Amino acid sequence: MKQAIIVFIFGVIFSGMNVTWAQKAKSILLENATVHVGNGQVFEQGLVGIKDNKIVIVRNALAYTYKKEEWDTIIDLSGQHLYPGFISPNTTLGLTEIEAVRASNDFNEVGIFNPHVRALIAYNCESDILSTVRTNGVLLTQTTPRGGIISGASSVMQTACWNWEDGVVREDDGIHLNWPASLQGGGWWAEPSPKKRNEKYAEEKQSIYSFFEQAKTFNSEKAGTVDIRFAAMKACFNGTKRLYIHADEVQQLLDVLDFVAHFEIQFPVIVGGYDSYMITEKLKEKKIPVMLPRLHSLPEMDGDAVDLVYQLPYLLQAGGVKFCLQNEGDMEAMNARNIPFLAGTAKAYGLSEEEAVRCITLSAAEILGIEKSVGSIEEGKVATLFVSKGNALDMRTNQASVIMIDGEFLPTNNFQSDLYYKYKKKYGLTE
Amino acid sequence: MQILRFLLLTLFPFAVFGQLPVPTNGSPLPKNNSFVLTEVRILVSPTKVIENGDIIVRDGKIVEVGKSVSIPNDLPIINGNGKVVVPAFIELNTSVGLPEIKGSGWDPSPQYESKKKGPYYWNESIHPEIDPTDLYNIDASAIDELNKMGFGLAVTHQNDGIAQGTGTLVTLGKTDPRLQIVQPNTAAFFSFRKGASNQSYPSSQMGSIALLRQALYDAQWHQQYGKTPNYSLDALNKQVALPSIFSTTDVYELLRVRAIGKEFNRTFTIVGTGHEYELGNVFDTLNQPLIIPIAFPEAYDLKDPFIARQIPLSDLKHWELAPTNPAFLAKSKVPFVITTQGNKTAADFWKNMHKALAHGWSVEDALRALTTTPAEMLGIQKEFGSIETDKWASFNVFDSDPFLQDAKLVETYVKGERTIVVDLPDADLRGKYSLNIDGTKYFLDITGTAQRPEGKVKLVKSVNDPVTGTQKMDTLSADAYVNYTDNDIVLQFNLKEGTTSNHFSLKGIVNTRVWIFEGTGTNTSGNWIKWSAIRNKSNEEQAEIKPVWKPLENVNTQPLYPNMAYGYAERPVSNTIIFENVTVWTNEAEGIISNATVITENGKIKSIIRGSSSYTVPAGAKVINAEGKHLTAGIIDEHSHIAISKGVNEGGQAISCEVRIGDVVTADDINVYRQLSGGVTAAQLLHGSANPVGGQSALIKLKWGHLPQDYLIKNAPKFVKFALGENVKQANWGDFNTTRFPQTRMGVEQVYIDGFSRALAYHEALTNPAKGTTPPARDLELDALYEIVKGERKITCHSYIQSEINMLMHVADSFGFTVNTFTHILEGYKVADKMKAHGAGASTFSDWWAYKYEVKDAVPFNASLMHQMGIVVAINSDDAEMGRRLNQEAAKVIKYGGISEEEAWKMVTLNPAKLLHLDDRMGSVKEGKDADLVLWTTNPLSVEAKVLYTLVDGEILFDRTADFEAQKAMEAERARIIAKMADAGKGGEPTKPFVKKRRGSYHCNTVGEEASTEANEH
Repeated sequence: MKQAIIVFIFGVIFSGMNVTWAQKAKSILLENATVHVGNGQVFEQGLVGIKDNKIVIVRNALAYTYKKEEWDTIIDLSGQHLYPGFISPNTTLGLTEIEAVRASNDFNEVGIFNPHVRALIAYNCESDILSTVRTNGVLLTQTTPRGGIISGASSVMQTACWNWEDGVVREDDGIHLNWPASLQGGGWWAEPSPKKRNEKYAEEKQSIYSFFEQAKTFNSEKAGTVDIRFAAMKACFNGTKRLYIHADEVQQLLDVLDFVAHFEIQFPVIVGGYDSYMITEKLKEKKIPVMLPRLHSLPEMDGDAVDLVYQLPYLLQAGGVKFCLQNEGDMEAMNARNIPFLAGTAKAYGLSEEEAVRCITLSAAEILGIEKSVGSIEEGKVATLFVSKGNALDMRTNQASVIMIDGEFLPTNNFQSDLYYKYKKKYGLTE
Repeated sequence: MQILRFLLLTLFPFAVFGQLPVPTNGSPLPKNNSFVLTEVRILVSPTKVIENGDIIVRDGKIVEVGKSVSIPNDLPIINGNGKVVVPAFIELNTSVGLPEIKGSGWDPSPQYESKKKGPYYWNESIHPEIDPTDLYNIDASAIDELNKMGFGLAVTHQNDGIAQGTGTLVTLGKTDPRLQIVQPNTAAFFSFRKGASNQSYPSSQMGSIALLRQALYDAQWHQQYGKTPNYSLDALNKQVALPSIFSTTDVYELLRVRAIGKEFNRTFTIVGTGHEYELGNVFDTLNQPLIIPIAFPEAYDLKDPFIARQIPLSDLKHWELAPTNPAFLAKSKVPFVITTQGNKTAADFWKNMHKALAHGWSVEDALRALTTTPAEMLGIQKEFGSIETDKWASFNVFDSDPFLQDAKLVETYVKGERTIVVDLPDADLRGKYSLNIDGTKYFLDITGTAQRPEGKVKLVKSVNDPVTGTQKMDTLSADAYVNYTDNDIVLQFNLKEGTTSNHFSLKGIVNTRVWIFEGTGTNTSGNWIKWSAIRNKSNEEQAEIKPVWKPLENVNTQPLYPNMAYGYAERPVSNTIIFENVTVWTNEAEGIISNATVITENGKIKSIIRGSSSYTVPAGAKVINAEGKHLTAGIIDEHSHIAISKGVNEGGQAISCEVRIGDVVTADDINVYRQLSGGVTAAQLLHGSANPVGGQSALIKLKWGHLPQDYLIKNAPKFVKFALGENVKQANWGDFNTTRFPQTRMGVEQVYIDGFSRALAYHEALTNPAKGTTPPARDLELDALYEIVKGERKITCHSYIQSEINMLMHVADSFGFTVNTFTHILEGYKVADKMKAHGAGASTFSDWWAYKYEVKDAVPFNASLMHQMGIVVAINSDDAEMGRRLNQEAAKVIKYGGISEEEAWKMVTLNPAKLLHLDDRMGSVKEGKDADLVLWTTNPLSVEAKVLYTLVDGEILFDRTADFEAQKAMEAERARIIAKMADAGKGGEPTKPFVKKRRGSYHCNTVGEEASTEANEH
């Protein structure tokens, strides 16, 4: 993104807060905010310096003196909270605009094994939904295809960009494998048919094994060999791409562990993992991370604790398993903006505040393999961050005052707030 | 009516029985329905048994029954030889002998009108005129199985549709089907299932209920005023005098049938499900006749613990408690009969019968439920139901008492016509014999039972001892196959000596006078040899009647309320509860007050005491120290679809306000408990949004642990669902649903204008009829529309786009009423001024959008902006998951639009109470209001707030500590039953693979009762 955006947002920044501003902000100092680093650390009164697009200083403001003239822009954030940009992994955000309008959906390709299909190609930078997600602090997303057994490759994207090349943080970060259901239920969501053993489970599992066997032995160097599916799989075996395995039920999870060991998958990630709390010892031992299911979802079974899903982050934390949050499910694109409140719920059910922040920032970045450049407010990382007037994990106080992606400011308004002010004006209502 | 009944029940049978001569091809065969059956054990009636008695039958009728009756010399004698005679059981709920009903198959294009020709009812699922008598045919294998279960009579009907037609009483013989017909039109049959009809209406259970009610009203009108023929309505009117049997598929349907019976002043005999025990003491006052199955669930195969954890507690509980159901009903003095439904084989039927008896049911009650009770229900007790003089000789003969043992059906008698099923020996062979085969002497010992003898053959032989070289005596022995039929005996055995076979197959005749067998056979070389045997000693042991079951001790009969996870051991009651030192969000002028004490009594808020004023603690009160905690009024979800059974949308017609959600409220939806855990205490259960005028709402309290009728708020204001936009114009229903009017927003307006105009005209015709005209038939749809147009029934209208919101307000204004609430109302912010002027309220989502085209301009600031314009605004869920954290959704209104915490909180409590006109009793913490209270760990709008207690009417229905204990108790209960199941599996009971029933959750646009591929829309 270029300077044009900075010019565009001047008005908003000024109207919102007391900002010292320089026309050409090459270096920015954010001072006196409570800095939630993302790694568990917190500076009650912090100082964060940004040059070009990088974070160059992160300090306790009370124990550090600086020269004002070294900074183009100094923003006083007293009483506010500074967070690394929140991350929304495993979502169709950017691939869909209006669920019921088929023409606007771009996340489900035809085919069973589609490792060669790449989500970022369809990522819509101008999505109206993106603008509403950003303003709640969600600045990075893993745009993810759906469907089939292998849905395709996801990419980690910024939630603001000119085009997908501009917006990509990590291209084709991993392949998504939907593990077959060990239990099967037909029907539909309002009148489900009874759940029973999936009689074809072994067969379906076998189809995955054989696909992976073939992919592993496939040699693209061999003259005259063309198979873009197998070629796309290579990166899963040499560790350059992650393998995201979507599975929830304990039988599936145990089988996934066997599978991962069998193929020596370098970076497996379990997505969902509703039952992961039952096998934390194994997951810890094998160092397999979990992207937990949407915390705001109902328990699977009548007899489950009513708040079982809310407790999952705590249960995995206690079990020593690396995890992050994601939001797959009904209306997941528009719902991506509620990711911070999932973290808030995790805090209500056992995590500390900084642990809660971590599971939507640094932990997510680590699981996605982008932790070297983003995910926390640390020196040397890219300045993708967010300032909220209050605690951003609480609905009441999540109020964006600064949004910055890759060192550039973004507007804190969106088309929804614009409509709001438009009609407020029509009715003659004032603040 | 009484005369009609008399005619049907008395004259009609004779018209059939008194048979006219029929020309035969050749000389007619002689009748064989006169005889004497002697020396039998007779289960005369439930209360009378005759040991070693005789039955005299002439022309199919019983002339005399008793001990040592004088045997006439003109009748053949059938020696019963100690067998057991059981009166023919009567099956009321079967389709035996009738062709299977097949629909014309699924058709993607909806069918709105009946395709039936002739003067029939307008809906194809109402076909009471069906009389299946002339379709009856002999289904030999089904009849064999029914006979083996002990049944000799059945009322057979076609189990299809809502008003299904009548059933025909048949005898279960296998001769000419015409001879089996005892009485057509014996009973009328009903269900809530639409069956094979492809007509779009009804598509839900509440639609079925409304349709049946309408048809019954139409029949009443037709009786009085009908001038043109209508076979369906004529049939319905005739059926008023018949026993009416209503089949159900879940335990709460029983209560729904009761309600219809009450409305039309008739008693339906209800075909239950076997879950009746779950209703507890409800039956004490009902006097509700029932037909129940004794098909008890098999144990699950739960060896795999990953599978075991999937089985819901409800299934485990039902497995354990189902066999107690008959005993429970007998104890509750419910008149009930048994249906074979669910038992495919006679072996299953008797196994389950024995199980029920072991679980406390008595043989007397069982026999009653199979014979005299069904006979009385049908009014045929003078002819069938027991083995008594003047009744038909319809009974079955077993080799032993089938209620106590694994008995075998030997003979059946259908109105005196004898059929031999198994030819049993009439002599007891058992004893010790000397057996001579070709000069060698053997010993033969026959044991077992008289009917199934078993043999053992021994040979004492001198052999050479290989060690000592001396001769010694050795005994060889072998089991022998013994078969005795038609006075012939077959013996077969193989006396092995080392590896050498000595195989004999012998056949001979039996002389029972001197107990000698004599005959020929083959030896191991295949040579024919002669043999004989003579009995030295007869069997002395008296055949002991050992039941195959024994009464179980310590039978668990305690269901949970409801009988599932998180059910209570007893129905909850209200307590006096005192919250001390609590911060109270009053929603009243006082605002938020700290350090207060709130006391509830008899389900109401008794007092709110501020500061340190003293008070007396009433006896038995539960005192909760709530220091640092926050007490609020319970959350009211203005828009919910939980706790609804079998369809949330009656989408078969554009106007369906005749349907009532209140008819189909269910009390076993786990989401009720989950919402209590999120502080929800009341909700409006709305019909879906499939049509411009939907169904009538149910205003409920979340009374977990109670019955559905106790969920309904007493004297609640009347509400109805309206809907606008994409759902009602079927925009997202696929390419086949393009024919129902309306398909555009333009059409929607006219649906309303038409409906309201018709309602006014109808009311005028009803109350002020023109001279010489007949009054209109009662019309449930127009009744409700008239209430709406008069403002007596308030509207909650699903809406998104400003144009249509505006339209409905104009329509309402033109008819002079007010739209009470717009729900969803995502573009309300665009017409908030007009809504304010009209007087409409709003109930909206906090932040949903982007799920369909009409919500593309939805903004999360909507609630705030409408509130700023002075509209009463509520935040609702429309979603079982969101419903349990509406406090968080309310908090979002603070984020989007910056309103105060108190005002935000009112959006999920007081404001929905106002919109539902329940604010005089709910919505704030005020003395005298209902004790619907929630105690939170902290500020309820905080993302960290958790519910500690939820009270509804002063009953603690969620308690976080008790919830934790309940989880542990539930695990223990599961483990106990799973262990018991494993034992049952080991003990030879069949087990079945795991199948877990699941309940779905409804949203606005969920159509139909069953599977469909509609997307989730709101």
